Amino acid sequence: MCLLSSLVLSGLVLGAHALTPSHHLAASDVARLEAVLSQSFTDLQSAYYSIVGLNKLGVSVADTDIPVSNETRDFLLAAVSEDSTISQIHNSVSTLSSLGLPLASQEVVSALTSRITKEDNVYAITLALQTAAHLSQQADLSGILEEIEDLAARLDDLGGVYLQFEEGLEATALFVTAAYALSDHVDMEPPLKEDQVIQLVNSIFSKKSWDSLSEAFSVACAAAALSNNRFHVPVIVSALGPATVSHRQPLLQLQVTNVLCDPLTSASVVVESASSVTTKSAILNQSPFSLRDGIFELNFMNSQPASGYYQFAVAVTGDSRLVANHIELKVKVSTEVVISNMDLSVVDKDQSIGTKTTRVDYPSKAKNSFVADSHQNFAMSFQLVDVNTGVELTPHQTFVRLHNQKTGQEVVFVAEPDSKNLYKFELDTAERKSEFDSISGTYALYLIVGDATLENPILWNVADVVLKFLDEEAPATVQTKTLYVPKPEIKHLFREPEKRPPTVVSNTFTALVLSPFLLLLILWIKLGANISNFSFSPSCILFHVGHAAMLGLMYVYWTHLNMFQTLKYLAILGSFTFLAGNRMLAQKAVKRIAAEQSSRLAKYRSLR
Amino acid sequence: MAASLFSVISRFLEEYTNTTPNKLKLVDAYLLYILLTGAFQFLYCLLVGTFPFNSFLSGFISCVGSFILAVCLRIQINPHNKGDFLTVSPERAFADFLFANTVLHLVVVNFIG
Repeated sequence: MCLLSSLVLSGLVLGAHALTPSHHLAASDVARLEAVLSQSFTDLQSAYYSIVGLNKLGVSVADTDIPVSNETRDFLLAAVSEDSTISQIHNSVSTLSSLGLPLASQEVVSALTSRITKEDNVYAITLALQTAAHLSQQADLSGILEEIEDLAARLDDLGGVYLQFEEGLEATALFVTAAYALSDHVDMEPPLKEDQVIQLVNSIFSKKSWDSLSEAFSVACAAAALSNNRFHVPVIVSALGPATVSHRQPLLQLQVTNVLCDPLTSASVVVESASSVTTKSAILNQSPFSLRDGIFELNFMNSQPASGYYQFAVAVTGDSRLVANHIELKVKVSTEVVISNMDLSVVDKDQSIGTKTTRVDYPSKAKNSFVADSHQNFAMSFQLVDVNTGVELTPHQTFVRLHNQKTGQEVVFVAEPDSKNLYKFELDTAERKSEFDSISGTYALYLIVGDATLENPILWNVADVVLKFLDEEAPATVQTKTLYVPKPEIKHLFREPEKRPPTVVSNTFTALVLSPFLLLLILWIKLGANISNFSFSPSCILFHVGHAAMLGLMYVYWTHLNMFQTLKYLAILGSFTFLAGNRMLAQKAVKRIAAEQSSRLAKYRSLR
Repeated sequence: MAASLFSVISRFLEEYTNTTPNKLKLVDAYLLYILLTGAFQFLYCLLVGTFPFNSFLSGFISCVGSFILAVCLRIQINPHNKGDFLTVSPERAFADFLFANTVLHLVVVNFIG
């Protein structure tokens, strides 16, 4: 399934070919569909679905003979009129035709045409199409035929992969059945493009277990219609098992079937081209597959391909009805690897002592262990060769693993190939001591080789290496053990209040700041403030009381209240003080003006 | 230089004591009081530090604001300036002074913390 969806994408990317089905029924799914339809039925509807459904799948069902009376026939004929629903018309027409009774086709056509305009939904029109497939070919079915195209326009395209009605799977499957039934009946190709047919295949066959008997029935009908009609037969191509070829299994096997998983034995399957994915060189051109027991086979190893991935373009021909008959396939050629020329040596860093190489053969282990301390390097070189062709390989995974048997520690390095595909690995003891945590001891050396195209991945204990490190600071336990222990608690430091000056200083300055008030009082007394002129009128007293109260309110605000409360009290006191003060000042003003006038009068008189 | 400065100051003080009406002298005494209070607050801030800064600001602004309002009052009740303030009687000036002071001290007490 993955393969086909990936090749759908590759098909879109290359743009050369049309869609290929990404969802189809496998043989097991078809068997499941039959099982669902074979369940025992309890009512007429289920009986209809089961019998007709199994019939479509090619499973024979016992015939039943039903005697028909004249009244029944007249009743059925009368049901064909503009007043019955399309479903009623369909039921009566299909009953009449399966009983072999004559129909008035033109009447049916006119009834259907008028009903279609009234019942505009998908199910109804599909039933109309199905009804028309039972009618005589002399009747004028072109109007109803046009409905196929109109309905097809109503299909929703989901992501370019699926094409289905929003009413769901059943409606789509029934539409496909009806459209092909009618098209076959009038021998006119349905107005569905190849891409649309494949998208319909994806939609209908993407569901592998069905909710109801009617859904299973609709899928069975659609499968039968798509595998056996005169115009479009979608081809399903899939590899039998993984698409892998090797010396042991040199045959590439393909299943080429229709949607019901019946092999298309009359078709011819040809590889149009096969090229390597990495080098893009073509290996095959127009090679045919041979048919054996319903499976199409090709011996790919005859072309001596190197290991790797190959892109196949396969074409299925032989029938003009075939749809989606050009397929892209990715085939893997795998092989076995063998390690040759494995040389191990301990080299002195200053190159003073000559290297002594030991050759080791797979799968044995070197007899002596190698000792390397901080002045020496341990070196290893080898080649990886394809056992069948002798070609040097560069697999994806070539690792050298050193495992300390005592502490369980392991360190893994990568061996890199040079330009001549000779793998080299060097361990500089002093440089790498951090990876080893400077723990000296005996390490078992393993070579790990792996790749997707290798059939025999290798894990080989090559030798034992004794590493000696300077400054052994071996920690007693491995670091990781303390990773999941609760960490030390973090104590939160609350914000410390700011430092205040000593109380003596504060008090001194308070006194200092308040002292000018005394000075003010002294000055006022000296200047002879006019306290004797204090009138004891009520407004005056009230004003002073109110003013004093306001000052008191300020103090209370500082100590107890908030702004809203203060504003409330201030409004009350303020208005009171204002009224009293206004009165008082008015009186004062009157007095002042009277005094001014009298002094002016006196001045005037004295002047005269 | 110092001698002339001293003579200017003594002359100024003499004229001030003689020509200024009593009412204005009272207001001037009040102004001096406000000035000293503000100066002492500033001195504390310089010497001891700005903690708590909001209190210092509110006290200082109170002094500055009161000083300004008192100066306004003095200008308005000065008989020399009667021509400039025909619509504002001394009583009205005093009432304005009281109202403005109330608003100022409301804000000051809010900010003093």
